[in-house]
Amino acid sequence: MNAMLEKVKPRTNEARYGAIRIDDVVKIYDPEGAAVMAVDHCTLDIKAGEICMIVGPSGCGKTSLLNAIAGFHDITSGSIHMDGEMLCGPGKPKAEPGADRIVVFQNGALFPWKTNLENVAFGPMMAGKLSKKEIHEKARAMMADAGLSGTEHNYPGEVSSGLRRRVEIVRALMNDPKVLLFDEPYRALDSLTRSVMHESLLEIYYKNKVTIFFITHDLEEAIFLGHKLVIMTSRPCRPKKILEVDIPHPRDYSVLTSPRFRELLEETSEVVHEEARKSFAAGEKEG
Amino acid sequence: MEQVEQLLKRTLPFQVVSPETLGNIAGISQRETFSEGDVIYSAGQSANDVYVLASGRLHHAITPQVNAKIHEKSLNAGDVFGWAAIFEGERIRLADVSCTEPVEVLRIDGTKLLDLLRRDRNFGDAAMRSFSQLISQQYYLPPSVANRVPSTLAAPATTAEEPGEPAAQMASTWTLTMYRAGEWIRSPDPYLMMIGFMLLLGSWYLTVEVFKLPRFEDLPGLTTVVTEWFATDPMYGLSIHTSEYYQHVWVSIRRVAIAFLLATALGVPLGLFLGWSRTFREYVFPVFELLRPIPILAWVPLAIIMFTGSETPVIFLTFLASFFATALNTMLGVESIDESYTRAAYCLGANRWQVFREVIIPGAMPYVFTGLQISVGVAWFSLVAGEMVSGQYGLGYVINTSYTMVRYPTIIIGMVTLGIVGYATSAMVRVAGNYMMQWRLREMALGGR
Repeated sequence: MNAMLEKVKPRTNEARYGAIRIDDVVKIYDPEGAAVMAVDHCTLDIKAGEICMIVGPSGCGKTSLLNAIAGFHDITSGSIHMDGEMLCGPGKPKAEPGADRIVVFQNGALFPWKTNLENVAFGPMMAGKLSKKEIHEKARAMMADAGLSGTEHNYPGEVSSGLRRRVEIVRALMNDPKVLLFDEPYRALDSLTRSVMHESLLEIYYKNKVTIFFITHDLEEAIFLGHKLVIMTSRPCRPKKILEVDIPHPRDYSVLTSPRFRELLEETSEVVHEEARKSFAAGEKEG
Repeated sequence: MEQVEQLLKRTLPFQVVSPETLGNIAGISQRETFSEGDVIYSAGQSANDVYVLASGRLHHAITPQVNAKIHEKSLNAGDVFGWAAIFEGERIRLADVSCTEPVEVLRIDGTKLLDLLRRDRNFGDAAMRSFSQLISQQYYLPPSVANRVPSTLAAPATTAEEPGEPAAQMASTWTLTMYRAGEWIRSPDPYLMMIGFMLLLGSWYLTVEVFKLPRFEDLPGLTTVVTEWFATDPMYGLSIHTSEYYQHVWVSIRRVAIAFLLATALGVPLGLFLGWSRTFREYVFPVFELLRPIPILAWVPLAIIMFTGSETPVIFLTFLASFFATALNTMLGVESIDESYTRAAYCLGANRWQVFREVIIPGAMPYVFTGLQISVGVAWFSLVAGEMVSGQYGLGYVINTSYTMVRYPTIIIGMVTLGIVGYATSAMVRVAGNYMMQWRLREMALGGR
């Protein structure tokens, strides 16, 4: 792995786009009149090109926040800006979904009826600015870059779940997004595959600097990947503790055994555990 | 050994060979391990062995002298490399292969492998074609290289201009189908099926003709029906040697075909829109749900009043049943689509119409084809109902008039013919569905059925 990382030259031009400002956002669901507060006056600043890890107990409302940024759901009050431009806020409760903010879903959302190559080519094909030939060429090159050559003509159902996640990330990167939104994408994977996915995600990140908004409930994953760690309270969700992970990038798996990693883990696990206990006592549904 | 066979079975070239050959190949495979940074072979060396990667990752770099579209590639478990060892003529390595991780490989002697494949008369050729396919598609090498894999048949490999050459693919699909048919014959399934038929026919024969049970003795017996059906001069005027028989069959098939196509052409779009647009559903679905439970027979009087002649009422009745089944299943299909697919499409910049075309339609397809299978079944059902009431030709008409004119064997001939034709039409729908949903077939094949 070390050998592989050495080959990856971190890009000198840092990301300039994709700064997200979440300002006093409240989200209240109102199914059958029972107002449920999912997000409670949440304020958060994410720098361009930063990996921001959102950690919280299952069902705490962190996905509501992601859905608001992606434009799947409206917000009740507050505002979300990207690079100074308002995505949603007063007078515009719901953001428009668009190729500048792409979600990588919990259970994977590669279209099973399209081959991996067609999946990767999907975004540009929809935009219709390039010819099919050009798009496929670019898609092949990007897949090759991510170690996916040879699986272009397979359907997603034919390759391993780890490969599928990688294809999905490449599909997102094809659109030059400013932000990637991860909704617990590695939750269903076994721990070995997950560790491989973490390294491969970092590898891809070092080559394509984008802002990453990553939801997880796995603290080790959060510290290993993130620049910034945001620990959320149990529902309604609000940042309880925000801290910068001062382990320098590029990182590899040796970080996991480093003393600083252990320190950070100790420092945060008590907080996370406390919230998880509250969430459990409240009987929150998973999801 | 079991493990080795499992691994081989997962690779492209070896998935088609017979179990026996697979076992033999496993027999000549040797496990070897390499550590990170090791070079397995380099370009220019002589090539003796083919390798299958069992675990770990490899870096595969093809020399620039060979005209590959993409030179570098990383290999993962299940990939096959070192295929230069089965080339015709000079066997020289074309690439450098080194380990990026500790790896485990299977090493298979090329000459012995060729021998085994040549001996497997049924599938050896398909395996070699897969090798050339692998070389052109996964390693992006020109056909001139891919065609150096020998063919066991005398016919030379077709010259491919594009990777994904249809001839080779069709050939391997054909051998695969033949392979499956062979497996089926060897399995107990066909014999169990025969026992099932024998039980049915046997109990018919025994109850009617041998034991002459009360209430059964008036039924036409098995031998009577069979002799009548195949008679050159049938007693009641209908057998496979009379043109009327085919006329009745043809009329029924034509009616079902028209009604089914019409129901599909209207039902699928209606179902798609019902599932897709909430507003549209608010308008249409209550009406749809109110009409749907009305039995087809209840429509008969209206059909006769509304339509003139004997043809259109029958087609209308047949259409109606098909239409409801198709539309309802299509709607359920749209509803079954995971929300993350539509969200993902919006995220990737698709507009509403593009989501409809790229996600809703293909996503609903599995349900649509289930609906079409049901639809073709109920089409035959309501056709017979319609033909019994109105109409001058058709199998339902035959059954009904044979009853009133006391031609009992002809009733059975009509029934059996309906069974056969009905089965054939639903099989056709199934085949069409499988053809259109390759992705689903392949997914299910990996799921072990």
